[in-house]
Amino acid sequence: MSEVTAARALVTRGSRPTRGTRGTTPPGARRRRRSSTWIAFAFAAPLIAYLVLFYAYPLVQNVVMSMHRFDRNTFVNGGAPFVGFDIYGEVASQPRFWPVVRQTAIFTIVSLTLQYVFGLALAVFFHRAGFRLASGLRALFLVPWLLPVIVSGTTWQWIMNADNGILNSFLGIFGVDPVWWLSTDTSLISVIIANVWLGIPFNLVILYSGLQNIPTDLYEAASLDGASAWQQFWRVTMPLLKPVTLITLLLGLVYTLKVVDVIWIITAGTGTSQTLATWSYGLAFGKGTSSVIRYSEASVVGTMLLLVALVFGLIYIAVQRRQED
Amino acid sequence: MSPTTFHRIAAIGAILATGAALTACGSSPAPGEDGSASEGNTTSKITFWDPYPQHKDGSAWDEHVKACAPDGATITRTSAPQTDLFNQLTSAVKEGNAPDIVVLDNPMMPSAVDAKLLATAEQAGISTDGVDENLLGPGVVDGEAYGVPFGSNALGLYYNADVLTAAGVDPASVTDWETLNAALAKVVAAGSKGITFSGVAGEEGVFQFLPWFWGAGADLEDVSSDDAVSAGQLISDWVGDGYAPKSVTTDNQSAAWDLFLTGEYGFAVNGSWFAAAAADTDFTTGVMPIPGRDGGVAPVPTGGEFAVAPVQDDDASDHYANAAAVIDCLTSGDAALETNETLGYLSAKPDVRAQQVAENPLWEPWVSSVEGAEGRTTKLGGAYVDVSASLSEAIQGALNAAGDPAGVKAAFENASGY
Repeated sequence: MSEVTAARALVTRGSRPTRGTRGTTPPGARRRRRSSTWIAFAFAAPLIAYLVLFYAYPLVQNVVMSMHRFDRNTFVNGGAPFVGFDIYGEVASQPRFWPVVRQTAIFTIVSLTLQYVFGLALAVFFHRAGFRLASGLRALFLVPWLLPVIVSGTTWQWIMNADNGILNSFLGIFGVDPVWWLSTDTSLISVIIANVWLGIPFNLVILYSGLQNIPTDLYEAASLDGASAWQQFWRVTMPLLKPVTLITLLLGLVYTLKVVDVIWIITAGTGTSQTLATWSYGLAFGKGTSSVIRYSEASVVGTMLLLVALVFGLIYIAVQRRQED
Repeated sequence: MSPTTFHRIAAIGAILATGAALTACGSSPAPGEDGSASEGNTTSKITFWDPYPQHKDGSAWDEHVKACAPDGATITRTSAPQTDLFNQLTSAVKEGNAPDIVVLDNPMMPSAVDAKLLATAEQAGISTDGVDENLLGPGVVDGEAYGVPFGSNALGLYYNADVLTAAGVDPASVTDWETLNAALAKVVAAGSKGITFSGVAGEEGVFQFLPWFWGAGADLEDVSSDDAVSAGQLISDWVGDGYAPKSVTTDNQSAAWDLFLTGEYGFAVNGSWFAAAAADTDFTTGVMPIPGRDGGVAPVPTGGEFAVAPVQDDDASDHYANAAAVIDCLTSGDAALETNETLGYLSAKPDVRAQQVAENPLWEPWVSSVEGAEGRTTKLGGAYVDVSASLSEAIQGALNAAGDPAGVKAAFENASGY
């Protein structure tokens, strides 16, 4: 999020048209301006140094790495040859590339949709429910957010154990045959279930606060006009929730695209649960089936993820600007 | 802030960024050809990395290592899991601040040597005298030794004697795959569970699979041979027939061992490092060598780590002298025995091993496995890691096929470890 907002702040500042005073300034004023310039720089310097060191440099380094053929030796001792976009081509021609892209898309879209729908349903429920336990119950829904992912991930692994997991026992009550949740074919569904569960609290909290900002007199007016609860939801709640919805979905998208932890803990990225993010992690650190570190290939996949996130960030900025106008 | 100011600051930022980028890619010193333990002196601070996070500060292993500090020196010990330790070593050598001694898993040795991370045993003053050749193999690249294994572990087939008795299975009847499968069928028919092992993605799962792979006569140079597929079919059938839990695809060796400790399973493939723990269970355990497909003892991969000295840029000789002193202490005299007993390993030196067996009958069944063990990388060198990656994919595919022969065959034929 911070990258997006920071970038946006820089863009709007840099392009604001306030020039035109240059050349007509008296000498004394110019000197004064110059010293104030340096003061301004001094104030901005820590922030800029921070941005450059911790954002710009790693990003540039990542792209540089994706265009040089690194192995463990050249990583340590230098001398990785420049190969341009060759490695991008190699990664894209891997037989598993397109399946992984597809799995990433399914993981992201299904996770986002379900998290949003459940989060919104719960937010509306708690917003309208005036009963005494509402706030306590709402707090309970935050538990997935507060638990360390290593705990919830491992717990999901147990729940989904094919032989004696509680999920299969539960389904067994209804006569459903045991499902091998973490097998190659179904592991994508399994990690989506766990990820949706993890993401609901985030959606609940943000959408709930969005709902609180909608003036109650609008609902009163709507009900005076005879609007049903359903109509109130679609005609009042949803339109006024649009800005919050946008930011929730965009943040959710960036979070979901880069999810490694929960997938890794449950399946180590095996079978269909492999996404671009887990693939990149496995390549970068020699984890998963292969212990070979593929620095350049990992950077390539990382750069692709970055570009996707960037595109959606720009779409978000464009949409927001249109809303402001 | 006016726009010109903004541009100026942005420009300075850009210059800083390029500068930082240039210094980062520019000058890395060439790997140290120079330095020799005999020309250096031990220093007061010695750093020691090992892959045993389970041995915490103050544990027997921790104290044993620290007791090996030369006079006036203190050892700082740091632990991380195998792969992470190797990655940290890579970065540390790159940054020129590698530790004095690293204990590195043996299949990583050729990769570490290829990446020029390690000093030769000769440079670092590490003696490899009296170490068994099959155990030293993974650390020898192009005829040059890089470090020394202080001990070895091996895989064996543990069994729960209580479960076997109840099912009417005589452990001595298990001599090949067919009799093993027959025993598993009887155990499961008697209401117990069959066998636990680790099929987790990565080297750990491959390590556990290799006894079946080699026991079928397969060769690492051809991982899609019929013999290889037959080994995949064996473990795949265990999942398909319900002899093994489906969680084998994600169980590491510790998780597989925990399942065996429930007392519900008849058999478990696991390592000699659990031998002491097996004797402690509240059911009767035994262990036998892993059988080959048509009988005999299957070759198991050598397990265990090498003590090595990483390449150093500054004061290399002093660092190597540190390594020489500490490694010599850990691998010679009485300390050599204690090193192995503490880790639950059998010594890499036959004389120390004989002493271990004489003092502790627990080791008896493991000796033949350790002595017949094959180095994973001995034949293939640095190419092993790619083969292992393909094999790991194949194992995952085979286990998921749950006994379906076409699925198992496809898993081995399509395996690629990218």
